[in-house]
Amino acid sequence: MLEIRNLHAEVDGNEILRGINLDIAPGETHAIMGPNGSGKSTLSHVLAGRDGYTVTAGTVHFNGKSLLELEPEERAGEGIFLAFQYPVEIAGVNNVYMLKAALNGVRAYRGEAELGAVDFLKLVKSRVKAVGLDESLLNRPVNEGFSGGEKKRNEVFQMSVLEPRLAILDETDSGLDIDALKAVAEGVNALRDAERSFIVVTHYQRLLDYIVPDHIHVLSKGRIIKSGGKELAHELEARGYDWLTSEAAA
Amino acid sequence: MEKLDEILRTAVDLAAAAPAWLGDRRRAAAAVVEEGRLPTTSDEAWKYTSLKDISDQPYRLATAADALGFAEIDLTHFEHAGSDGPFAVIVNGHLRADLSRLDNLPSGVTLRTLASLSEAELGPLVSTLDGVESAAFSALNLATFGDGLLLDVADGASATNPIALIFVADGQAPLLSAPRIVINAGRNSSVRVIEQYLSVAGNCGLTNCVTNIELAEGACVYHHRLQDEAETSAHIGRIDAKVSSNANLHSDSVAFGGRLTRVDIEVALAGRGARCRLNGLFATHGEQHIDHHTTVDHLVGDTHSEELYRGILDGHSRGVFNGKVIVHRDAQQISARQASNNLLLSRQAEIDTKPELEIYADDVTCAHGATVGNLDEGALFYLRSRGIGNAEARALLTYAFAEQVIESIPLDSVRRAIEQRFIGHTDMSTLAQGIQP
Repeated sequence: MLEIRNLHAEVDGNEILRGINLDIAPGETHAIMGPNGSGKSTLSHVLAGRDGYTVTAGTVHFNGKSLLELEPEERAGEGIFLAFQYPVEIAGVNNVYMLKAALNGVRAYRGEAELGAVDFLKLVKSRVKAVGLDESLLNRPVNEGFSGGEKKRNEVFQMSVLEPRLAILDETDSGLDIDALKAVAEGVNALRDAERSFIVVTHYQRLLDYIVPDHIHVLSKGRIIKSGGKELAHELEARGYDWLTSEAAA
Repeated sequence: MEKLDEILRTAVDLAAAAPAWLGDRRRAAAAVVEEGRLPTTSDEAWKYTSLKDISDQPYRLATAADALGFAEIDLTHFEHAGSDGPFAVIVNGHLRADLSRLDNLPSGVTLRTLASLSEAELGPLVSTLDGVESAAFSALNLATFGDGLLLDVADGASATNPIALIFVADGQAPLLSAPRIVINAGRNSSVRVIEQYLSVAGNCGLTNCVTNIELAEGACVYHHRLQDEAETSAHIGRIDAKVSSNANLHSDSVAFGGRLTRVDIEVALAGRGARCRLNGLFATHGEQHIDHHTTVDHLVGDTHSEELYRGILDGHSRGVFNGKVIVHRDAQQISARQASNNLLLSRQAEIDTKPELEIYADDVTCAHGATVGNLDEGALFYLRSRGIGNAEARALLTYAFAEQVIESIPLDSVRRAIEQRFIGHTDMSTLAQGIQP
C-alpha cells in the first residue's frame, strides 16, 4: 500500500530525512518511535504534503501512485489522513461545516456524489457517539477553546467520518492524561480493520500499550536504525534510545 | 477638482433659486469650498487617499431630470428591503417616489424630502448642518445637495421593521450626486435604518452624501450602511451622529464597491450613559481603494464606545482605517475599545491602519489594537489535509475572518444579504451553497 524508498527531505536547507525505506501493507499498524529531533514529525508532514519540506531524493508510492506529486487535498482524496500533534484552532469556521466540506471534497476527488445534508448529519451523529466526542463541540469553531483531549478526540472523530485508507497519528499521545489517552486509543482501535493501515508516531511506548502495532521502527537522525515487532517498544522503554543510536553510529 | 469652479457656479445658481436663508447657507458653504479647495495628501486626514482621480473628472451636478433615466429597480440586490418593508429609492440624489414604497412606514415614523419642508420645519435642521461645514465635502454637500430626506421618529415610537434608503447612481456621464439625510430619533424611540448605495454598471459618477443622526435621550438607532457601487464610481460619505444620554447608536459600515471610497463617521457621545458600537467590514480587490475615518468623541463621563473594523484586501487594492477616540477632561469613567484587523490576500495589496487616542481624563478604560496579517498557513494546511481544495480552504478562512464582524450585525436579513454579497464580491463561489451545514 505504502512504499517509501530512500526518502531524503530538507527543512530550511537542513537535511532531516536521510534515506527512509518503509513498506506498509493493508491492515498493518506501524509505529515510528525515536528521540526528539529524529525526523518523526517531518516524515508525517512530508507524507501529508505540507509546504516548507523539500524532498531532495527518493520516492513514495501509495497504492501505486507517486504521492509526492500530489497536493495535500489530493492525498486526502487518495485516502491519507494526518492526525495533527497540535490540531489547529480556526476561529469562525464551524467544525461540522468544515467536515462536510472535507468529506465532499474527498468524495468529489473519488468521483462520488456529494453526500446530502440529511445523510451527512446521520453519519456525523453515529460517529460522534462512537468516539465519545461531546456533541456540543460539533457546532463550535474548529478546535477553538477545546481542551487538549477534546482536540485529539476531534481528530479521531474527523478520521472516523473521512474513513482514510492510511491514517498517520503524529504524537497523538502528547499532552494527554491517561484517561484521554485510553479514550483516543479506543477510538483508533475501533477503526482498525483488514484494509486500513496506520502509522503511529510517538516518542513514548505508553501509547503502544493501547494501540498495539504490528511493527515498530526506530528513527534516528533521519534513518530507520532498527525495526522489530511490538516487543521492541518494551525494550526501548527499559533501555532508552541511547544503546540503539550508539550501535547505529558504530 | 479642476472642474470644481463649474460645480461651484452651479451652487451659486442653486443658492439664488433657494429661499433667502437657505441661499445664504449654500453660498457660505460654497465659499468654504472655494477658499479651502479639496484636501490633498498633505492634509493629515487624507494622507493615504489621493483625490487626483476625482479632481480629473469633469463632473456635472445631477439635477432632478437626471433621476428619470432609470426605469425600474432590480430588487434582488437588497432583498433585506423584503417583500413588506418600506423603502425609498433615491436616484442621483433625488427621490423617486414612483419606485419607492413608503405607505407602510412604521407608526410614529415619517419620511419627507427636505424640499417639501417649510422654513419653520427645515430651520432647526440648519443648525444641524452648521457644525460640519469645515470639512470640504460636507460643505460641498451643503452647497450642492439637490434634495434630501428627513426621517423623523416620534418620542417612544418603536419601529422594528427596518426602513431602507436605497441610493442609486445612474448614468455613464460623470455626475455629482449630493444626497443629504437627517435622522431624528425621539426620546426612547427605536429605529432601524438601512442606507444602501448602488450604481448601475459602468457608472462613473461621484456620490457625496452626508447623514446626520440625532438620538434624543434613551433613543436607540441601528444604522446599517452598505457601499456597493460599481467599481468605476467614486464615493465620499459621511455620518455625523450625536448621542444623548442613555441613547445607543449601532453603526455598521460595510464597503465592497467603488473605485474610490471614503467614509467618515463622527460620533459625539454627548450625554451620560450614551453608547455606540461601530462595526466595519470592507473587502477590496483590483485597484479599489476604501478609506474609513472614524471619530468617537467622549464629551462627558459614563459614555461607552466599542469599535471593530475588519478589512480584507486583494489584488492591488488599498485600504485605510483611522480610528480616533477623544476623551475630554472630566469625562471620567468612560470605556472605549477599538480593534482594526486586516487580512492581506496578495503581496500588492496595502493597508494603512492607525488608532489615534486623545485622552484628557484619568479614570478611563481604553483599549485599542491593530493587526495586519495573511491567511494562516497552518490553518490552510490543516483544511487541505482534510481534503478541502486550496481555493475553497482560502475562501473558508477569508470568510471566517469576515464572519466575526458579520455575526455581530443584529438584523438577520441585513446579515444574510451582506453574507451573500461578501461571498459574491470575494469570488467565493465554492461557498455559495451555504455557509452553515
